[in-house]
Amino acid sequence: MTALQATALALVALGGTGVVITREPLRQAMVAGVFGILLAVLFFLFQAPDVALSQIGVGSVALPLMILLALSRIHTDEDGDG
Amino acid sequence: MAYVPLAVLVPMLGATFLAAARELLSRALADAVSLALGIATVTLCAIALAHSVDHTIVYWWGAWTPRPGGVALGIDFAFGPLDAGMAVFAASLTVIAGVFSWRFLAEVDALYHAILLVFLAAMVGFSLSGDLFNMFVFFELMSVSAYVLAGFKIDQRSPIEGSLNFAITNSAGAILALFGIGLVYSKTGALNLAQIGDQLGRHGVDAVVVAGFTLIVCGFLVKAAAIPFHFWLADAYAVAPTPVCILFAGAMSELGLLGVARVYWTAFAPVLDPHAEALRWTLIAIGLGTAFVGAAMSLAQHHLKRMLAFATIAYMGLFLVGIAMLSADGLAGTAIYVVGDGLVKAALFVCVGIVQHRRASLDEVDLHGRGRDLRLTAGVFVIGSLAIAGLPPFGPFLGKALVEDAAAHGHGLWWMPAVMMIASAVTAGALLRAGARVFFGWGSAGQPDESSDEAEGETEPETDKPHDHTPVLMWLPAVALLLAGLAWGVLPGLADAALRAADRYVQPNVYAAIVLHGAPPEPTTPVSLSASGASYLYGVGAVVGALMVAAAGVTRLRAVDATRPLFAWLRKLHSGHVGDYVAWLTAGVAVIGTAFAITLR
Amino acid sequence: MSRRARLALFLPAALVLAVGLLWSFADLPPFGHYSGIYGIVLGHVAVAQREATNVVSAVTFDYRGVDTLGEEFILFAAAVGSAILLRAQRGEDAAGAAAERSDRRADVVARPVRALGAALVAPTIVLGAYIIAHGQLTPGGGFQGGVILASAAVLVYASGQYLAVRVVRGVAPIEIADALGAAGFALIAVGGLVFGLAALHNFLGYGISGSLFSAGIIPLANVAVGVEVAGGVTLIVAEFLDQALMRRRSG
Repeated sequence: MTALQATALALVALGGTGVVITREPLRQAMVAGVFGILLAVLFFLFQAPDVALSQIGVGSVALPLMILLALSRIHTDEDGDG
Repeated sequence: MAYVPLAVLVPMLGATFLAAARELLSRALADAVSLALGIATVTLCAIALAHSVDHTIVYWWGAWTPRPGGVALGIDFAFGPLDAGMAVFAASLTVIAGVFSWRFLAEVDALYHAILLVFLAAMVGFSLSGDLFNMFVFFELMSVSAYVLAGFKIDQRSPIEGSLNFAITNSAGAILALFGIGLVYSKTGALNLAQIGDQLGRHGVDAVVVAGFTLIVCGFLVKAAAIPFHFWLADAYAVAPTPVCILFAGAMSELGLLGVARVYWTAFAPVLDPHAEALRWTLIAIGLGTAFVGAAMSLAQHHLKRMLAFATIAYMGLFLVGIAMLSADGLAGTAIYVVGDGLVKAALFVCVGIVQHRRASLDEVDLHGRGRDLRLTAGVFVIGSLAIAGLPPFGPFLGKALVEDAAAHGHGLWWMPAVMMIASAVTAGALLRAGARVFFGWGSAGQPDESSDEAEGETEPETDKPHDHTPVLMWLPAVALLLAGLAWGVLPGLADAALRAADRYVQPNVYAAIVLHGAPPEPTTPVSLSASGASYLYGVGAVVGALMVAAAGVTRLRAVDATRPLFAWLRKLHSGHVGDYVAWLTAGVAVIGTAFAITLR
Repeated sequence: MSRRARLALFLPAALVLAVGLLWSFADLPPFGHYSGIYGIVLGHVAVAQREATNVVSAVTFDYRGVDTLGEEFILFAAAVGSAILLRAQRGEDAAGAAAERSDRRADVVARPVRALGAALVAPTIVLGAYIIAHGQLTPGGGFQGGVILASAAVLVYASGQYLAVRVVRGVAPIEIADALGAAGFALIAVGGLVFGLAALHNFLGYGISGSLFSAGIIPLANVAVGVEVAGGVTLIVAEFLDQALMRRRSG
């Protein structure tokens, strides 16, 4: 294993822990986006570009987007009821 | 052999058509299209069943037949009569659920039928598939459609929570299974079940095999609601619409057990066979634990659908005991038991749906005596509960008798029939007690004698308004399902055919030869199987036991009251909090993994 | 269960699970050592058999195409499911209220953001189409390109605009796109049944390796998956935004 791959693995481990530790949903969405990019870098380093492209699309675009949409919908529902 | 891929492609294409043409189809037209597609799928699966009776059918997608030397490049569907029979059963239940929805669910559009058809395609694909990752893909497709169907009545609050518990717990199980698949692939370099079995059989058991087997089996057991993975099932059934519950109870959880059986008998049996005895004991422990937890919890419920949910869990435990025998006779008995029990349970769910339609309530205490004029429903419910307890000659009796015989005569577990009789009697007793209170008004009305568990306390009463007429399309399925359950028990030659099919199922080297090397099918010898005389006694004993439990529950004996603190702790565990469920799931995987690590080396 | 009891149950179990997994890793092949036969065989035969230079795409859409069919329908079920569940929750006036909020957003979103969003939409669409079309040649393919196309729609919303779509007889185009993409892949499978040897058989000509129209059905399957993914993800986003993403233009 090269040093670069080992570094990427360590960063992914830290990033995953960071996502779990973050409590507030809005902040967690952003940390999840960064985590997605770290995973994509890891997949590139392990010579899997297709998976890395999918990971960028899903982990950094779609997943934080879904969280933000759900949060905005909760807020609009609350504003509507209140 | 075009019927094999079409059995999956037809419902898929139908679902996309219904989704695209949603606004052009009226409710009746959408119902009709969905019914036609369901019947088409049943026909295709029945053709598959008829062709596979004598030899295992293998169909390679994309015409990627294996390379010489037994390397599979593509994905295959490889099935025998047990798998194809499960597919036919799942498809038939989907048709019945669709028909029942015509009157029961007032406002659905074509999208509901689209998701139902996707669920059907996934169940058929899972039953027929011969590739480990392909099984996982169809398993996930089944799960996602199920989450949508469970949360369907989302304008009430509790469907969201029930569906969410369902989704989170099952996704956790699926992730564990995927990890196990990854471990197995890294060791064998193959995803085809026959090829995995071939590769694993060349080396011995090591840590990767144990870990992979644990994770894959636990992932499937989450779907099959074995303890301690069962917590999601009652929450999901309580909130899902009743036609969807028919499908969940009759087909979806049973497919989890089919997954365990198939993965064991094709991929892991070559390497784990020397340790079969130890594996049998672990699976028996899980199965009996599930049966008794389900039985105890169903006594403590008064929400009728949650009661049926825990009854489902209890019988899942007994099915798992049948599979745990790890032999052909146990497997044959379980196959018959699954279908017979599924038919009768579906009839019970339809009865509960009729009660909900007529009285707009699902609480046993609230409904006390209010079902007195629903005479046909009462009859079907009482007979169904007795049938599920093991009344001869219904289907569940035949299946349970064969499993008991396999345990007692085949493996020397002389105490198993008595234990199964007790579990079955307690569960059916809870159902009979509910039936007595609701349909006959026996026992005293007023305060509930058992306090409800916390999850049940959150369940809101159904808020649809009551109707004063039961449409034909609602009581006809109930009667038809009950009669089918009776027919299943008396069908001549059924047990023999099941044993013949199971004999082929439990031979992994023959399976590998047929799948990987295209070997011609070997001639099968005719065999004979029937329920022994002693099992009739156990069946009648279970029925008598159920009646006694029901009577004790209705009359509120002092002895019954004394056992209440024992149940209180168990009820408190079913809290409805998903964090608890995931904690139990992790604990379960850890315990089962440790058991396998110790016993399978 | 109280939080402490839950953690007391979970943490030891998670520890046992972690130790068990680490113990099982000890028996894996060493890092970088590929012991399986699948990749080795494919590396030798895939380009010759299918004239596709992206072997991963060849595996995804040809060798193991039925897995992709299932996965595609998972996304279809999720998109249709979100349409079912979110529409049931929506009140009568929600679409109108969402449209009003969207109009107000157009005033609030800063001008540089609006300009950047508007400028990025067209290159995003081109990039997505490029990745879909070259699925059999370079890394990427239908799924990746489809997500990029869907993000173009989200960019429109993020820059304070909305898509005005002409509605024909009340049918929404993104639902059609989602369903047609999924149906397209299933029809390719049926096409293999009708024109080829088995379902999902690669029954079209394979062309020359490296050219845009090569590898038989793989480019078609890529397009189908791309349309489906773009439609599905956009549908989910549009449902969450209560039709603020797309306004119906009558007539």
